[in-house]
Amino acid sequence: MGLILIALLLPGLVGATLILLSHRVGSRTAVGVALLATLGALTATVAAVATHARIDRPWAGEIGLGWIFESDMISAPLLVLTAGISVLVVLHGLRHAPTGGTPGLYYGLLLLIEFGALSTFWTRDLIVFFIAFEIVLVPMWVLIHRFGDDHDPAARRAAALRFVLYTALGSSIMLAGILAIVTQVGSSDMRAILAAPPQHSQMLIATLLVLGLGVKVPLWPVHSWLPPAHTIAPTAGSVLLAAILLKMGTYGLIRVPLTLTPDGFARIAPLLATLGVVGIIWGGLICLVERDLKRLIAYSSVAHMGFVALALGTNSELGLRAALIANLAHGVISALLFFVVGSLKERWGSVDLAVVRPALRETWPGLGFAVMVGLAASLGLPGLAGFWGEFLAIAAAWNPAGGGTALAVAQSQVSGGSWVVWAAEGAVSTELAFRGLAIVAALGAVLAAAYSLRVAKVIWMGDAAPRDRAGDLSWVELVIVAALILAILALGLFPYAVLPSASGPAVLS
Amino acid sequence: MIADLVTIDAWVLAPVLAPALGALLVLVLDVLAPKARGSHLPLALIALGAGLGALPYAVTADSPARTLCLPAPQGRCLYEVEPWGLGLQLIILAGALIVLLMLGPGTRQLDDVQRGGPAVTVSLVLAATAGAAMLPATRDLPTWLVAIELATLPAIALVALSRGRGAEGGALSLLMVSLTSFALLAIGIALWVLATGDATFSADTVRAAVEDTDRHRVLLLSILFLLAGVGFKLSAVPFHTWTPQAFAVADEAISAYLATVSKAAALGGAIVLLSPLVVLTGAGSDDGFSIRLVIGVLALASMTLGNLVALRAEDPLRLLAWSTIAQAGWVLAPLAMLTSISVAAATGYLLVYAVGSLAVFAVAAAVHSGAEGAGERRLTAYAGLARRAPLLALVLGLGLLTLAGLPPAVVGVVAKVVALGPVVDAGLWWLVGAMIVNIVLGIAVYLRWLLVVIRPADPEAGLTRLRLDPGLRVAIALAGLAVVLLSVAPGLAFGLVR
Repeated sequence: MGLILIALLLPGLVGATLILLSHRVGSRTAVGVALLATLGALTATVAAVATHARIDRPWAGEIGLGWIFESDMISAPLLVLTAGISVLVVLHGLRHAPTGGTPGLYYGLLLLIEFGALSTFWTRDLIVFFIAFEIVLVPMWVLIHRFGDDHDPAARRAAALRFVLYTALGSSIMLAGILAIVTQVGSSDMRAILAAPPQHSQMLIATLLVLGLGVKVPLWPVHSWLPPAHTIAPTAGSVLLAAILLKMGTYGLIRVPLTLTPDGFARIAPLLATLGVVGIIWGGLICLVERDLKRLIAYSSVAHMGFVALALGTNSELGLRAALIANLAHGVISALLFFVVGSLKERWGSVDLAVVRPALRETWPGLGFAVMVGLAASLGLPGLAGFWGEFLAIAAAWNPAGGGTALAVAQSQVSGGSWVVWAAEGAVSTELAFRGLAIVAALGAVLAAAYSLRVAKVIWMGDAAPRDRAGDLSWVELVIVAALILAILALGLFPYAVLPSASGPAVLS
Repeated sequence: MIADLVTIDAWVLAPVLAPALGALLVLVLDVLAPKARGSHLPLALIALGAGLGALPYAVTADSPARTLCLPAPQGRCLYEVEPWGLGLQLIILAGALIVLLMLGPGTRQLDDVQRGGPAVTVSLVLAATAGAAMLPATRDLPTWLVAIELATLPAIALVALSRGRGAEGGALSLLMVSLTSFALLAIGIALWVLATGDATFSADTVRAAVEDTDRHRVLLLSILFLLAGVGFKLSAVPFHTWTPQAFAVADEAISAYLATVSKAAALGGAIVLLSPLVVLTGAGSDDGFSIRLVIGVLALASMTLGNLVALRAEDPLRLLAWSTIAQAGWVLAPLAMLTSISVAAATGYLLVYAVGSLAVFAVAAAVHSGAEGAGERRLTAYAGLARRAPLLALVLGLGLLTLAGLPPAVVGVVAKVVALGPVVDAGLWWLVGAMIVNIVLGIAVYLRWLLVVIRPADPEAGLTRLRLDPGLRVAIALAGLAVVLLSVAPGLAFGLVR
């Protein structure tokens, strides 16, 4: 239990302290303290996950809230991802000093976002889950608003406010769903709810939960907060948004509606899958024509998260695995892409694809390589992280009943049971429709290849005359890029290391 | 002699007696020693402190703590403090304490904002507080009405005595509204007695009245009048118009009083009125449905209109006025469900709202005192506050986030959760939908203010030093600490009232 407390309180308290003392703390102190805090949190997180540490004690017992923190194979990879990405994000500040406010404020905000995300992934109390979900809002709002792209203050303010209001609307809708569960069951402890799931209006509850969490994912058509927020946020903010905050949405979908209101979720799952596929195509088509590279990556996030939604929408065990791996893969790939695009933007001043620039492979080969790895992973090249999630998602949609239900795996996680996968039950009757979705999603994967190659052609090949080669990856960037590329390779080669199953890849069986 | 007629437990009554005696003492002192202007405020603080100190007695006494009981066989008690009443008394006394701190402790600042001298101001605050503290404990209609008026009339006088431009106008509008509300309440009470044949709020007589068709109708009419009368005090739409007018002319401290203590008193009055009606809300009861509908619509209108107008306000006090109207809706929404959980939810929400509001009002008083031209209160005065006065900005930010219901002010989030719970439980989805939309609208309202606070200051403006009186410092510190404490342990706020 001590480990979890350290992992949570280190970023939380250090972050709050940095913000409170932001006028007294110098740049070097701030980044040093923040780096130590994130490294400490990473160590503690890994140790806590490895030792299955748990906390279970009342907090506001008068209103039935508990500090119940526990990790399982659904949350553990996301916890490590969060703690790891946070280290890289702080490290990134070593070279790119934040502009727009004091360093203490900047690093404090990053740490508070880490704190909120870790709490979200760790808690097993539904109401605390909601509170943790909200923790990231204000720090991210300030981060975008104060440290975002300084070209257009009005657009910055609008993007920051849109982010807050949209996601707050989503989480409030989710809260209504959560309260509907809690008032029926009489407890906000997930284990208690699992033991006695809500009997009435599961359909309504699941709809509220999917709708609310869908804003965060983001699900088409409630995704429109994402492109401006990602585009205008500072690099660190974009990375945190894409790699961690979006994952809170998909994690919530798995943890709450899929697990706690399974009957209701099963009924609206086809809708979720359909919206996911629309998002895949929508994002892919926009990426084909988008000129701003950062915005393009943002829209590609909509497409990638569409694959996660499709996978979850199949409501099958394979689909759940696909969602988990796609979720993680998108976390590291989008982090790499946003880091690299941030570096390019800093060097070029803008990342407008219409501007003719010298070929990246000649001027800055290191950056060029990183971009290529990111794009290749993003288009789903086998051997890299992006492949498994999208491949399995399409496979799951093609054969939705393939091998047990998602519920079985997800519930066995919460109840701490064995990894036994129950036999297929509640197979989706609309098999044919799902095959259609699978085909459209596969087309979306083709779109991903098309826009990735388009970007590669424009910036890697380049048409302008080459300039001198100074200014390639600095050592800080090298560390970040190397860490992320290693993670992408590892996920691509050993995907089953992070999946909650003892059985092998029963794909297309 | 009296002891034969009723039992009197002075300790249970102390939260009401202490401010009332304090008001008397202040006036007596003013007559005996007119020169001792500086001693009124400390005396008042002691009186409120004594009232607060007596609250734990009612916690440890039998629940509900009763006194003023008639002898057997009737044996009914005219003064009962249930846990929610205790919570409201805590808000009322502590709120008045912070308001007085904002006005003092020296008389210089008090004279700047209020006419009539410290004795008058202080005794008015104490008198209104005594009425407010009485209200949640009343169980009979005449005392209920007297307590409402005792809580209201001195507050009107406080607005009338403000030095702000147009104070008389604001006070006049407040007075007119109060008289209307008094008339509605008086008619409502007459109808209630007619329907139930009883001058107390008793579930038994209400049940008897419901069984007779004619008396049932009269009772419903009475409830409608009483609800309207209480709606004025709560400043719920459509009975809200006095609020922005009064806030625009009154000093921050007096506005804070109206926004917290008066609102807590009004909620106390509403709960006392609604408690016996629980018998109407059995399964499939038309009456329960109608009462829910009426209160629910009031709540919806209040929160929506309040937030929408607050979104456009440029004067921070007007913004706060409309925000209190919106928050009144948030208090009413769970209350409409008419269950014991919903009473606790409404009281807990009000407690959190009061703490957040006091923090905001206290910082507003500090910032506006530093602004040149006291008549000009604009949001732009807050530009760069985070740089100029980080601690003030911190308390203001925590207060605003409490009202918005966003972390790090966790207690504000929990309050929203608690208020939404009974409505979801009752399955009133149209009201749930409205509340969800209003969470977002509210966030927009308060972040708009916070945005100014974290904005870098204009280079030429905003360099005025803030002049903080010691009392105001203590008030800001207390309110800020309360938000932090409750955010770490939100159970304190909500455990108290159930």
